[in-house]
Amino acid sequence: MSNVIKGVFGAVLGVLYGGLGMLQIVSAVTYLALPFVPASFFGGFVLLVIGAVLLTGARKFAQGLDEGVVFVNVGILLSVAFGAVTLLAAGAGALEAVIAEEAWSIADAITPAVYLAVIGAAGFLAWCRTFFRGLVAA
Amino acid sequence: MDPICPLALLSAGTEATIAEVRAGKEMRFRLAGMGLCPGARVRAQCVDRGSLIVSVGDARYALSRGIAMKILVGEPEAA
Amino acid sequence: MTGIRIALTGNPNVGKTTLFNALTGSRQHVGNWPGVTVEKKTGRIDWNGHAIDVIDLPGTYSLTAYSADEVVARDYIIDENPDVVVQVVDATNLERNLYLTTQLAELGVPVVIALNMADAAEAGGYAIDREKLSALLAIPVVRTVGTRGEGLDGLLDAAIREAETSPHHEHTVGYGNDAEAMIASIVDVLSADKDLTKRYPLRWLAVRLLEGDENALAKIRDSPAFTGVQALLSGIDPDEYEAAMADRRYEMIAAVLPQVRTAGAGGMNVSEMVDRVVTDRYLGIPIFLALMWGAFELTFAVAAPFVALIEAGLAWLSATVAGSIEPGWLASLVGDGIIGGVGAVLVFVPNIFILFLILSFLDDTGYLARAAFIMDRLMYAIGLPGKAFIPMLIGFGCNVPGIMAARTIEGEKDRLITILVNPFISCSARLPVYILFAGAFFGAGAGGVVFLLYILGIAAAIGSAKLFRHTILPGESSPFIMEMPPYRLPTAWTSLLHMWSRGAMYVRKAGTIILVGALVVWCLASLPFGVDYGSSASLAGALGHLLEPLVAPLGFDWKIAVALLFGFVAKEVVVGSLGVLYGTGEGGDALSMALLADPGLSAATALALMIFVLLYTPCLATIATIRKETGSWRWAGFSVAYGLVLAWLLALIVGHIASLFLGGA
Repeated sequence: MSNVIKGVFGAVLGVLYGGLGMLQIVSAVTYLALPFVPASFFGGFVLLVIGAVLLTGARKFAQGLDEGVVFVNVGILLSVAFGAVTLLAAGAGALEAVIAEEAWSIADAITPAVYLAVIGAAGFLAWCRTFFRGLVAA
Repeated sequence: MDPICPLALLSAGTEATIAEVRAGKEMRFRLAGMGLCPGARVRAQCVDRGSLIVSVGDARYALSRGIAMKILVGEPEAA
Repeated sequence: MTGIRIALTGNPNVGKTTLFNALTGSRQHVGNWPGVTVEKKTGRIDWNGHAIDVIDLPGTYSLTAYSADEVVARDYIIDENPDVVVQVVDATNLERNLYLTTQLAELGVPVVIALNMADAAEAGGYAIDREKLSALLAIPVVRTVGTRGEGLDGLLDAAIREAETSPHHEHTVGYGNDAEAMIASIVDVLSADKDLTKRYPLRWLAVRLLEGDENALAKIRDSPAFTGVQALLSGIDPDEYEAAMADRRYEMIAAVLPQVRTAGAGGMNVSEMVDRVVTDRYLGIPIFLALMWGAFELTFAVAAPFVALIEAGLAWLSATVAGSIEPGWLASLVGDGIIGGVGAVLVFVPNIFILFLILSFLDDTGYLARAAFIMDRLMYAIGLPGKAFIPMLIGFGCNVPGIMAARTIEGEKDRLITILVNPFISCSARLPVYILFAGAFFGAGAGGVVFLLYILGIAAAIGSAKLFRHTILPGESSPFIMEMPPYRLPTAWTSLLHMWSRGAMYVRKAGTIILVGALVVWCLASLPFGVDYGSSASLAGALGHLLEPLVAPLGFDWKIAVALLFGFVAKEVVVGSLGVLYGTGEGGDALSMALLADPGLSAATALALMIFVLLYTPCLATIATIRKETGSWRWAGFSVAYGLVLAWLLALIVGHIASLFLGGA
């Protein structure tokens, strides 16, 4: 039962990552300006990769393979990691803006990598803590 | 034990016993120090076109195809 | 107070360095082992009235000694006779670790086992009976957790006790009747040579000889016993003994293990499962690229505020100096020479440290080993082992640490090629030059031009690697075997410490060399007395005019020749030099306008210049690093010459082709 939920969670989050990643790349190439989806070719690529890992997991679930759970877990970990990286980079950007006395707005920090990571973090807290506990060993 | 096939040809998740290492002395000593010597039980974990990750005891190694072709193993069996 | 020398040995990835750091703290000395580029770390501890020197030997799987690391470790133990050898053992991986123990025991040196990562083993459900293990091996076993500094007192006490015990108990593997008979007769022959008897444990030597170890044979070549041993060995097939004896050692270990270790529930191995994903045939490389992009994004973003602070500080400092120091030439020396030159490097320090921190973190988690596996096939196509991608990656930040990172590559030729192609990886010091010229001459297309320059650098590195592989350094790339350590979450402290040891080395090296270089440049630009700094009349100007005919085919005039000459010190100095020569200072827009207004410069020339800057002679610090890491000026000189020729040719070709499309030149 919990596997079904995880599979669906992986599929939905995977589609969100894939879709928003596409949008970021498209707007980078076409100079499209979308709210809360900044144009970034490589940023979009990262989202696509996370989406692909999650969707691979969902597909393996659908095929009844136990491996699916590993892909979803790693996808969630990547989601949280890149959310943290983006937040850190945004924080540093804010600090730089303060030092250089430039304008900076909180909207700059609201990117797909950040708000999708909130969903990822929820999944992490729900399922992954026990999974990754085995790794935290030194 | 008779060598049956190179380690490189194992499929993921199978286990086998090393029968022979057909490499130079230097490489054989080195592999023995890592636990890859005749008689050792190895399990193929990830296999990708001949490169693979194997586990021996509690250790895990990545081997390129070149070296994995030189390690001959006995009858593989599903783990 | 008595002095005791402790040699720290063990397999790679067992937490040896962490334990060494925990033992010695800041009282460390880092140097090189004579003759090889293997790092030598020593530390001093005062403990209960003993002055203890701890020597950190390179990690090794066995004492058969073929790689430089293993030779260093073995020769130290055999020839330098440390009072006690502490073997750091990974408690989660006893079987393989004990193989080295059997070899140490055979050497007859006093051994103490530090059962490290004991917490991880316990968390994994392994309970290890230390007393039983100690009794079976006749070696003291101490539980340690290096990351938290647990068990250090017990370890030191045991080491001192063992060092002071004599005679020392020997405990070795039995190799079976057949082999033992051979060993006995070899020992018999060897014992006739009293000199040999004094220097080496004969049983150990006999075992090595029976296994057909070339190194051991070399040790007895001059001995009168040599012919006798040769006669004994001529009748046998050493390959057969070698396999059987390795088997015996593992059999002995296999007999010990079940008595001392109760396996836990086991179940799923998380590291294994994660590897399924990150080494996936399709997803592996994209995940790797995503992580690398994240690493660089984070590096530049987080470093930016620090860089801004340092720039502001330097600007204040040079303004203060200019206003307060008399006479003018001294102010110029301090301001233009020292602060300008050293400052150019200082600005990169935040980038370098943060990049190192992230790479240390990825390394400590165990991911970089997986990345090397993923990259192995791609790198193989170039003729290099998978590990060679790490130096290249670091090279994008700075070539100096990139070249130093090549140390982990085992094959000597692989290592040389990796070092020689590293300067073509476009380091961050070249970016200011691109930004200036691409911004001035290519407008909206500037980003694309800069991107293409990075690609050109990678292509030059790959092409050169292939060229070297087929000409001066022929051969196959060495086969790839790499341990995949279990994933671990490193503590902030270990990652910071690793960052510090790598970063401090960079600052020391770059700092001193750049300072000297900056002073030379200042002298050239200021002499003879009375000329304007860097003007046509200065020595630098004279050199520029002298060099002009050489770069004229590329469309460069004497000013650019001077700027390129100064770029030897550090490539971003090119921008500052042009600022001086055009009399605009570094202030971006004024210099851009001046460059655009120069009738001698066109878009095609600008492109040729950027290509030249990308490829020509690496900076002074890089040259000095190549000299140090290859151990000869020959390779450093070769790198300079090769880079200059390649830069000149490519700049010429691309410049002329570009002038057909862009006009000018």
